[in-house]
Amino acid sequence: MAFNIHQSHKMILLLPAGMYLLLVILCAVVPAEIERQREAQAPPAPEHPLVEKGRAVFRQLNCGACHTQQVRGDEHLALEIDGRRIVPVLAADRRFASEATGSAHYDHEDPAMMGTQRTGPDLTGVGARLPGTAWHHWHLHDPRAVSPDSVMPAYRFLYVDELPADAKDYEEVGRIDGLTGGPKLYATPKAVALVEYLLSMQGVKR
Amino acid sequence: MIASTVIALGVSALGVNAPGPLAIFGLAPGATVLIGVLAFACWLGWRLGGGANTKIPVGIPIFVAAAGNDPRFAKLVSRYLMSACFWLLLGSAFGLLVAFKLVDPELLTDSSALTFGRVRPAHTMIVLFGWAGLALVGMGLYVVAKSAWLPMHQPLQRWELGAGNLALALWNAGVAGGVLLLLSGHVNAGREYRMFVWPAMVPIAIAVLLLAVLVYRLLARRQVKGVYISGWFILSALVWIAVVVVMGYQPRWTSGVADRVIDGYYIHNAVGMFFTPLAVGLTYYVLPKLLNKPIYSYALGVLGFFTHIVFYTVIGTHHYVHTAIPQWLETTSVVFSVAMIVPVWASTGNFLLTMKGERLAIAHSYSLPFIVVGVIAYGVASLQGSAESLPWVQETLHLTHYTVGHAHFAMYAFVSFLAWGAIYGLLPRLTGREPPVALVGVHFWLALAGILIYVLSMCIGGEQQGAAWVQGKSFMESVRLMSPYLVWRAVGGVLMFASHICFAVALWRMRPGAFSMAFGHQGASGLGQGEA
Ligand code: HEC
Ligand code: HEM
Repeated sequence: MAFNIHQSHKMILLLPAGMYLLLVILCAVVPAEIERQREAQAPPAPEHPLVEKGRAVFRQLNCGACHTQQVRGDEHLALEIDGRRIVPVLAADRRFASEATGSAHYDHEDPAMMGTQRTGPDLTGVGARLPGTAWHHWHLHDPRAVSPDSVMPAYRFLYVDELPADAKDYEEVGRIDGLTGGPKLYATPKAVALVEYLLSMQGVKR
Repeated sequence: MIASTVIALGVSALGVNAPGPLAIFGLAPGATVLIGVLAFACWLGWRLGGGANTKIPVGIPIFVAAAGNDPRFAKLVSRYLMSACFWLLLGSAFGLLVAFKLVDPELLTDSSALTFGRVRPAHTMIVLFGWAGLALVGMGLYVVAKSAWLPMHQPLQRWELGAGNLALALWNAGVAGGVLLLLSGHVNAGREYRMFVWPAMVPIAIAVLLLAVLVYRLLARRQVKGVYISGWFILSALVWIAVVVVMGYQPRWTSGVADRVIDGYYIHNAVGMFFTPLAVGLTYYVLPKLLNKPIYSYALGVLGFFTHIVFYTVIGTHHYVHTAIPQWLETTSVVFSVAMIVPVWASTGNFLLTMKGERLAIAHSYSLPFIVVGVIAYGVASLQGSAESLPWVQETLHLTHYTVGHAHFAMYAFVSFLAWGAIYGLLPRLTGREPPVALVGVHFWLALAGILIYVLSMCIGGEQQGAAWVQGKSFMESVRLMSPYLVWRAVGGVLMFASHICFAVALWRMRPGAFSMAFGHQGASGLGQGEA
C-alpha cells in the first residue's frame, strides 16, 4: 500500500514534530550553545553584592517593562580601528552612546536585560549620564518632581519619611537643586541597592 | 496573489526610508506601512467579496443539531470556554489598568503588587495563556472530535473526559498561581510571555502534554480514513508548545547573549507555533462548516501547514535585530519573516476564496463576521509583521509603541476574533442554546471599533515616537507626543472591555442546557427547547 500522510495520524504527529525539533536545534540550540561557549571564556564578573541586590530589585519591580539596555548598531558598517572592532550606532540610539553594545556587555548576566520596549530611556549608560545618588532617589520617589511630563510610576513604597525604630541599612537622601519643600526622605535598603545598580551602569561594553 | 502581496510589501517598505515621492503626502514611514497593507486588504476584500451565485446555507436548526450530543462533552468544552472567558475579563481588566497607568502614572502606585512592571506581565500572561490558550484548546477539542467523526453521543471515552477535565484544572491552577506569584514579586523578569516563575509553568506544561495525548488518541480513533487538516494544526500546536515551554524554561542557556537567543526564539514561537496554528486550524473547520461548502483548496492548506513550520520557527530573532546577537541569526530571521508571506497567504487566501460570493450568508450570520475580521486581520497583521522585521524599518519602529499596536492587531483582531467566531458558530450546535443575536452584534461592533482605535493610535503614535528618536529630538519630547495616543488607546481599551462583558453574558446564555442533559442520549425530537 502506498504511503499516504493524510491517513496516518502517526506521521501527522511525528513529521511536524521532527521538522520542528530539527529547526529548533538549528536556530536556537546551536547559536545559544555557541554563545554559551564564548561566554565561558570571558572573565568572571567582578563581585559587587550591593549591585547584585539592586539588580534583583530591578527585576522584581520589572523596570525592564519600560527600559531597554541595548544600544543598537549596524553591523554592516563596522570599522576596525587599532585592532578594535567598532559598530556605529543607529540614528535613534545615538543619544545613548557612541558605540553599539557588544556581546561582552551581557556576559554572566542572568537574565540579560536587553529589553523589548523603550517607553523610558535606555539605561545602558545611565550611571555616567546621571551620576547623582540623590537625583535617582528623588526621581524614583516622585518622577514628576524632577521630570515633569514623565510617565514613569512613582516608587514611593521604597522610601519612608521617618526612620523605623529597627532601621538598618537605611540612608538619608540629600537635597538636590530645584527641589524645594517636601519631607525628609529615607531610602529603604532596597532603594539603596537599586540606585547602586543604576549607578553601576557606566556605558557599553563590547 | 503572492505577486501582489510582494508588491504591496515592497511599496510599504519603500515608504520607510523614502524622503522623496512619499514625503509629498506627508506620510510618515510607519503610517505608510500600515496604510499600504490596509489598502491592499481593502482591495482584496473588494475583489473577493463580489459574486453572483450567492446562496444562503440551509442549516438544520440548532436544537436538532445538538440533540444526541453527549452532555458531558458539552460540559467539558463549555468549561474550557468559561474559564477562558473568566481570564479574558480579568486579563483585560489588567490591560485597562496598564493603559490607564500610562495616562495617569500616579494611579495605584502605593504598593509593589500593582506597580506597572508587574501589572503589565500579569495582563499579557493572563490573556495569552488564560484566555487565548484555553479558548482555542477548548474549541480545538470539539473540532478534533467532530472532524474525526467520532460518534456524536459519545465523542470522548471516560478516561479521555477525565484527562480533559484534569488538564483544564491544571491549566487554571498554573495561570492563577503564576499571576499571584508574579504580583507578589516572583517575576521571571526580562523574559516576555514567560514571566511566570517555573513552578507555575509546570502544571501548564503537564496540561499541554495531557491534551496532546488526548488529541492524538481522538485522531487515532477516528471513524474516517483521513485526518482533516484542522487536526494537523491542533495536534502539532500542542506538541510544539510543549517544546517551546521546555526551551523557555531550560536551565542551560540563561545568561548573556545565549539567553537572548532563547528569548527571541521563545517570544515568537510561543505566539506563532501555538496561537496561530490553533486559530488557523479551527478556521479550516469552522468556515466550511458555517458556509456549508468545502474549503477552496485543501492542498493550499497542506502547503500552508508545512511552510508554517519551516518559516515560522526561525523568525524569533527579529525581536533583536541590530543587537549583540550573531549577525547570521538576525539576517536569517529577517529573511524568513518576509517568507512568512507564503504560509500566511496560503491560508488567508484559502479562507477568502472560500468566502467568495458568500456576502449574504455572512451578513445573515452572527458568527461569520468575526471570522471575516479574523481572517483579514491574519493576513494584514502578518504583512505588517513582515514589514516590521526589515532592518531599515526597525530603525524607526522597533522598541516603540508600534509593536504594541502590532501585538494587539495579531492577538486580538486575528486570534481572538477567530476564537469568538468559532465559539459563536459551533458552541450552540453542542449545547443546543443560541446567544441573543443583538448582544453578539454589540460584542462584534464594540470589539471592532475598540481594536481599530487601539491599533491605529498605537501604530501612528509609535511611528511618531520612533521618528522623533531618529531626528534626535529630546527623549522627553517623544514621551510627550505619545500622550494623546495613549489616551486614545485607553478609549479603545474601554470599548474592548465592554465587548468582553457582552461576550461573557452571551457565553452564559450558550451554557449546556437542561435539554442536552435530559434528552442527550435519546436523540430527542427537539420538543421543549426554549432558547434557540
Ligand atoms: C511606565 C514605564 C516605566 C517604568 C515601569 C519605569 N520607568 Fe524609568 N522612566 C520612564 C520614563 C518615561 C522616563 C523618562 C522620564 C523621566 O526621567 O522620568 C524614565 C526615566 C528613568 C531614569 C532616568 C533615565 C535618563 O536617562 O534620564 C531612570 C534612572 C529610571 N527611569 C529608572 C527606572 C527604574 C529603576 C525603574 C524600576 C524601579 C523604572 N525606571 C521603571 C518610564 C518607566
Ligand atoms: C481591554 C482590552 C485590552 C487592553 C486595554 C490592553 C492593553 C494593553 C497594554 C496597555 C499593554 C502594555 C503596552 C505598553 O507597555 O505600553 C498591553 C500589552 C499586550 N497585550 Fe493587551 N490589552 C487588551 C487586550 C488584550 C488581549 C485580549 C490580548 C491577547 C489575546 C492582548 C495581548 C497583549 C500582548 C501580547 C501585549 C504585549 C505587547 C508587547 O510586548 O509588544 N491584549 N495590552
